[in-house]
Amino acid sequence: MTEIPKIVYDRLREVPSKRVLPDFQLAHPDADLLTAFSEHLLSAVERNGVLEHLTLCRDCRDVVALALPFRDIVAPPAAAERDAIRATAVAKSDKNRLTSRTSAWPSLRWAVLAAGIAVVASLLLLRPGKLNTIQSSSKSQTSTTAPAASGTETASASLPASPMPASAADRAAVGKTEKTRRRSDLLLSKKLDSGPVVTSPLQASQGVIIAQGTSDSGQPEKSLPVSSAGSLETPPTATKTVEFTGVTAVVEAAPFAEDGVMARNDVPAIARAKPAPQEVEVQGRQESGSGSVATPKSEAKGVVSAPKLAAAASPNSANAAIWAITAGALQRSLDNGQSWQNALHAFHPLLCFASHDNDVWAGGQAGTLFHSFNRGATWIQIQPSSKGEQLTSDITVIEVRGPEILLSTNNSEIWRSADSGTTWDKK
Amino acid sequence: MLKSTQAGHAPDFAAVLYERSGAAAYDMSAEQFATVLDEILRKYFSQDATPPSAEKEAEFYASIRLEELALARACAAGNERAWHDFISRYRQKLQSMALHITRDSAHAAELADSLFADLYGVNTREGVRRSKLEFYTGRGSLEGWLRTVMAQEFINRYRKQKRTVSLEEQMAEGVQFATAVSEPVRTADQRLETAIDDALVELSPEDRFTLASYYLDGQTLAVIARILGLHESSVSRRLDRLATSLRKRILAGLRTRGMSHAQAAEALETDVRDLGLNLRSRLTQDSGMKTFPERKAPAKDAGEGKP
Repeated sequence: MTEIPKIVYDRLREVPSKRVLPDFQLAHPDADLLTAFSEHLLSAVERNGVLEHLTLCRDCRDVVALALPFRDIVAPPAAAERDAIRATAVAKSDKNRLTSRTSAWPSLRWAVLAAGIAVVASLLLLRPGKLNTIQSSSKSQTSTTAPAASGTETASASLPASPMPASAADRAAVGKTEKTRRRSDLLLSKKLDSGPVVTSPLQASQGVIIAQGTSDSGQPEKSLPVSSAGSLETPPTATKTVEFTGVTAVVEAAPFAEDGVMARNDVPAIARAKPAPQEVEVQGRQESGSGSVATPKSEAKGVVSAPKLAAAASPNSANAAIWAITAGALQRSLDNGQSWQNALHAFHPLLCFASHDNDVWAGGQAGTLFHSFNRGATWIQIQPSSKGEQLTSDITVIEVRGPEILLSTNNSEIWRSADSGTTWDKK
Repeated sequence: MLKSTQAGHAPDFAAVLYERSGAAAYDMSAEQFATVLDEILRKYFSQDATPPSAEKEAEFYASIRLEELALARACAAGNERAWHDFISRYRQKLQSMALHITRDSAHAAELADSLFADLYGVNTREGVRRSKLEFYTGRGSLEGWLRTVMAQEFINRYRKQKRTVSLEEQMAEGVQFATAVSEPVRTADQRLETAIDDALVELSPEDRFTLASYYLDGQTLAVIARILGLHESSVSRRLDRLATSLRKRILAGLRTRGMSHAQAAEALETDVRDLGLNLRSRLTQDSGMKTFPERKAPAKDAGEGKP
């Protein structure tokens, strides 16, 4: 850690007291404000006010540090992400090892950087035709998906082609996550047999994934085989695996050049794409073009925050909202993914979400559940409880079927609300 | 009553909040709950010159932990069922929190019992039992609020014990070997202090908090990261960046004040003990006053903990 000059220590302690601050910043924030600050629930203005005071006041800094929940230190990651962590750890280990070595030898950093530039330059020089193919492929996708759909909200995700096949570790990560989700979905569908069955997630992941049909341009699409594990298998030239889970998700595969994969979710539903680590494109059918969408950057270096991307476009709204969970926070983009904003940062990490029209639900660890009925402008925290028992386990799957809300937890509990979250039943 | 019911919001907004809170289970009427919400709104928007708009008001209400607020207020009002729920949910957690904060089982039990008594309200004022739970406003979780109140109580106790330390304990700590504090001689260039102050003031509150927590309080990167909601490595990188940029800014400030680069670098490396700072007065930040005095006569709108 870089040290600061000794004199700065003293001035750091002294400078704030010289500043003229309003009374409300000089007064100690009450326990409510400190709690909301610790739980990241304050508005930006309030947060800055509290931070100004904390800079002045060592006592309050001590209180905030002491009042941190100790449970979070040992809290294991969510079950769904645990497998992904385990699988990606193998893939990341080599990279980390390389990183630690290079950081240990500063002189090597430049050598590695130069070597990397040389490799990229040589690739560009040797394979210019490949790049042109990819660009033309994306252009053709734009032209075929541009026509507006009538009333249905659409989000399509396409994976740009990569010359390298997905690694075995990435496949393992996707496979393990799929297994976990399928187990949860099986339980969900089994327990809901008595209820009104629309389409269970299992059915969605197995049967409703349609690998045929016609594309928007009327061209017959190439069939893509669905593997026994429920993942969509791409043709041999495109060695990527795309996984979708949703209530009534219809995933169609369109023809693409060489090794691109395009999938589309035509029905408002929970849709989570967990592709191999490539850039993901999201395009709305209601809009006149497609844009490359950079997913929100993860601060956790991607280890525990595999990008979960979904589009929740409202047919009535001019700007479709795109949602994503990154590093335990729900993020929203209102400009087709050009920019992202933190829509919800709960005390406990968020794990899943679902959206339907303007309704958005987000669930996370320790029974954290939030509902927004205005596309994330405001949130209400909901504590599901049934017969005196509260939901305290991690919420891993949320299903929205109109007013009916279904929650699946990591310990195989199913919580159901038939009135948009006002009352709950545990199954 | 909730203004939202009169200002163009959905007419059932107040009813929705009341229903979501579950206050009815604790025999709290919709009017009582609306009064509580109004009090909280007034408390947090009293600084504003203009009253909050209907949208801002709705957003504020939506951010409140309604169920926990109803539970806390029902407990403060002495509802038995609410106390039953509170004890079943938080009694054990209070013990764990106290143990986590004090790291000592005897002190933990004492601290938890003391807080529990405050929550129940053993102090009476004008014949009315005052529960500490009356000050909970639902901005954060009830569990987090309990932790914060407990941490405040712990710091108060720690300070109290520190002030009443015996002479023997002081001797054991080696007070007899302490160097006599003398008034420092002012030898340093005032331009240095001014340049540092200017550089520090230019930093954002979050950056200054990060610096103060790490360099003054000695907090770990993990703790700072959890407070700020960042990853540990982000805090580490931020500290590196801050230290570097701070140094550059100070050097630039010194150069604009007429120093050469070499002079500025030399001045910056001067030991703080050589500088003309009144360290005695500046280091004794801990005044004799209690940081979080117990509220003997709480004002109606005032929050918990404000002096």
